[in-house]
Amino acid sequence: MGLLAWVMMGLALWHFAIFLPDRFWGGIVGSFLCVIVGAALVGFIVSGFTVPGTNDTTISTALLGIPGSLLGLAFAYGLGVQRGNEALEL
Amino acid sequence: MNDRRRNLFVLLAIGAAIVASAVVILTQPTKLGLDLKGGVSLTYQAKPTKKTQVTGDSIQRAIDIMRERVDQFGVSEPEIQRSGTDQIDVSLPSAKNADEAARQVGKTAQLYFYDWEPNVLGPGCKPDPTNSAVTGGSNAGGTTAAISKYDAVQRAATCKPTSTGQETNNGQYYLVDSKTKTVLAGPQLTLTDLKQEMRDHTPIPYLETATRKVVKIPAGAIVVQAADTKPADDAFFVLADQPALTGTDIKDPKQNFDNSTGGTGAPTVTFNFTDKGRKTWQKVTKQIAQRGSENNFGGNAQSSFQHFAIALDNQLISTPYIDWTRNPEGIDGSNGSEISGGFTIKSAQNLANLLKTGALPLRLKLISATKVSAELGKAALRQGLVAGLAGLILVSLFLLAFYRVLGLVAISALAVYGILLFALVKLIPITLTLPGIAGLILTIGVAADANIVIFERVKEEVRAGRSIPVAISQGYRKGLSAIIDANVVTFMVAFILFILATAGVKGFAFTLGVGVLVSFLTAVLLTQAVLGTLGGSGVLSSRGSLGAQSDAQRFHWDFMGASRWFFSLSGVILLIGAFAVGGKGLNLGIDFTSGSRVTAELVQKGSESQIRDTLAPLGLDKAKIQRVTGKEFKSGEAFQISSRKLGRGQRVAVENALSKRFGGGQYSFQFVGPTFGNTVANGAIIAIIASLIVISAYIALRFEWKYAVPVLIALMHDLLITAGVYALFGFEVTTATVAALLTILGYSLYDTIIVFDRVRENVPRMPRAAFSQILNRSMSEVVARSLATSLSTLLPILALLFFGGTTLKDFAFALAIGVLSGTYSSIFIASPVLMHWKEGEPAWRKRRARIAGVNDGVVPAFATSVGGASTEVNVDADNKPRKRLTSPDDPNRGVDRAEWDSLVRDLHADAPPPVRDEAADLLPEDLVLKDEPKPRAPKRPRNSRHGRKR
Repeated sequence: MGLLAWVMMGLALWHFAIFLPDRFWGGIVGSFLCVIVGAALVGFIVSGFTVPGTNDTTISTALLGIPGSLLGLAFAYGLGVQRGNEALEL
Repeated sequence: MNDRRRNLFVLLAIGAAIVASAVVILTQPTKLGLDLKGGVSLTYQAKPTKKTQVTGDSIQRAIDIMRERVDQFGVSEPEIQRSGTDQIDVSLPSAKNADEAARQVGKTAQLYFYDWEPNVLGPGCKPDPTNSAVTGGSNAGGTTAAISKYDAVQRAATCKPTSTGQETNNGQYYLVDSKTKTVLAGPQLTLTDLKQEMRDHTPIPYLETATRKVVKIPAGAIVVQAADTKPADDAFFVLADQPALTGTDIKDPKQNFDNSTGGTGAPTVTFNFTDKGRKTWQKVTKQIAQRGSENNFGGNAQSSFQHFAIALDNQLISTPYIDWTRNPEGIDGSNGSEISGGFTIKSAQNLANLLKTGALPLRLKLISATKVSAELGKAALRQGLVAGLAGLILVSLFLLAFYRVLGLVAISALAVYGILLFALVKLIPITLTLPGIAGLILTIGVAADANIVIFERVKEEVRAGRSIPVAISQGYRKGLSAIIDANVVTFMVAFILFILATAGVKGFAFTLGVGVLVSFLTAVLLTQAVLGTLGGSGVLSSRGSLGAQSDAQRFHWDFMGASRWFFSLSGVILLIGAFAVGGKGLNLGIDFTSGSRVTAELVQKGSESQIRDTLAPLGLDKAKIQRVTGKEFKSGEAFQISSRKLGRGQRVAVENALSKRFGGGQYSFQFVGPTFGNTVANGAIIAIIASLIVISAYIALRFEWKYAVPVLIALMHDLLITAGVYALFGFEVTTATVAALLTILGYSLYDTIIVFDRVRENVPRMPRAAFSQILNRSMSEVVARSLATSLSTLLPILALLFFGGTTLKDFAFALAIGVLSGTYSSIFIASPVLMHWKEGEPAWRKRRARIAGVNDGVVPAFATSVGGASTEVNVDADNKPRKRLTSPDDPNRGVDRAEWDSLVRDLHADAPPPVRDEAADLLPEDLVLKDEPKPRAPKRPRNSRHGRKR
């Protein structure tokens, strides 16, 4: 259940990445992958390398998905900038 | 074969199929599932015994024995079949003796005969044949000398293991509490099984503490319950596990009466011995008689009589004595023997039946049980049929309102679809279950969708100025690829569900799959034949008859420009969903959490607290009690009592207590063990992953791989939004929800495929447009069609939601959310993601920059051109071989005068296609003169690290 909350949080935050200039590594799909993986990975690490079960999942578990999502987004953006991706004006 | 002949052939073939279907429908019975006719459904997991491993053969032998047992009870139409690698499903319809049959069918029925006195183990795990405090003396096997189960287990644990080859097991595990001196669980043959039993039966989890310990009884000792006791009685013996005979040594068991001289006339079970059994019987009874004789020191001979014990599944059922004065040489087994003591006629019959069919070669663990009362089943069937009819009517009205004459043709096709499908259901036969009916109702939407896709195409062609016959022909030709793609995907999802899902969902998947195939036949072939025949007639003479009277039907809206706001909307919904999942969690039903659920429809009205008070004395004060309402209940409501696993006795006690307090009631029962729950959950996860992989592969093959990724993102969006809504509103997640989620995958794709199909078509037609412009154009063209297909799918779902009863309501709700979310995500998630991704490609970036350059730095929402020139090229002028037709009545072409005239009219009606000007899209520097050689691209320098310096 914890994993579901993290992934949902990641997906929710990824939707707002559309307001950023698209310089992401792999474009919009690359940012999606990085956000989902980041949310799950950081949530897993911060929870002490466990995935909270049905009874252990709380609102704070869902909040744990936020830092990972932002880090994932930053990673995809940084990598894109480093590789010289030009912003896509849409 | 020309079109007219082909149409005639199709109409005749389908007409013949309708006649054949009518015969099948009138003559064949409909096979109803237990949820529609009432009955008991059991799922067992097979476990190995000392002598038999779980294999296909051993499971088949077990099934044969179980079938024989059920037959003995005269239960008609039982279904016993293997499920997966180690499970057996048993379905017994509501009938006399069905409950009893259900109780007996899974019993192991291992029968053992023990020489009693030398095998009863006293303190220190030592036999003491002459000590009546250990053996029970003349009351051998009774409660007099019996000890508590806790003491028996502790005593047996001190025994030394033996390996004579006669032991019935390799050791058994118990969990005991030394503080309360009770046995919490066991016997189990493995520690894993013991842990599982703890999860099944008790509210306390498996945990070893200072007082709670696992005790292993070694091979060679066994704990048996005393004779003439009830399961709850705490009277046990420890035996040396060296049986003299087993159930395989006897034959022809029968229920009889003790009519011997001085007999009591009480019910008994008589049997004969096999040859081997007869010899062993004589030998053992002779040893027992001799021991009795040796123990007699004068006086009453009866006081020295020795006993043998008959144990069935660790319960002593009889301990008769051997009269050494009458049988000093033992008892000749040629006349058989009998088991007596405490039988009623029914229990003696049951035992005789069990012995007759023999012991199961495997141990069977009940992992799921469902009992549905016949009344509830009938009500569910009635509601399913009403929902189906309502769905059909709603879809028909919708088609009629939107497509007029075309709608009438589609309704006829739907009627034919219904007839063919119902005949197939009877012919195969498909066991019709409640989820199966839901599948059938949903395929009404599928069948209507296919027609809508084609009809919208036909309307487009008519609005583009084509004559009606040409528009029909073009509509079918152009619409077919999207229909095939969508149907293939739905069929693949149904197939995956059928392979991986549990029994209830299988019925849904099967009917969905069959429905998709039949709908393709009726919605495409039949309607094409009908319209092809009507095309030249007066029925379809005006555009109004097709519902295409108006030209201003195309939406002109900047879908891609608005996508960021729809992205934000989705983000907010998902954010709320994420917090709901975190804060409230998903309300997982007992399909996943395991446990028991009694659904009680009571005669007198009550409240949750009254029910709790009634059940508190039964230890169910912490049970989850929930009021459910539905038309299938006569009183309009019922109560669901969910708790840990309830044994049969506890369940009967619950029913009795409620009936006594509330003046009677109708009861349904469901038990799901953790094994079954895990199977369901794992099956669901595997099915979702497998569906996603197959869908991606198909989209990648049919379109291009970059089209598959937005589809997956949109599907994930739909599934997570549905999960979020479930968490937010606290709806129960059941196996039906999983089926609904998987169906959502298919339906969500239907819309996306329609959009992407048009994008695929428009890309070569708009060589000067940006990808966003192509998408905007495509969306404008298909949004009406996409909304219409969603509405036609939603209508039967709404019928299920409002008329389908309690069970189907949850299912329909998940589907409704999924279909709405699927339509939304196809338009506002999948397409924008595709746009963003494709626009990042160098070729599209270049094109976009060029368009921006001539439009003051702005890329218009729709493709425009300077001077009003067309932004499109005609790619319909394909390379297909053309046929030349120069005159009517050509014998080689089979074209008569009327067709010739019609063709000539069409040719005049249709505007001549513009010639494609490939150079129009090229930059000046890309242009080369015809006789000027095209400059070659410079050679790439070789890698300096590996090649020579240039």
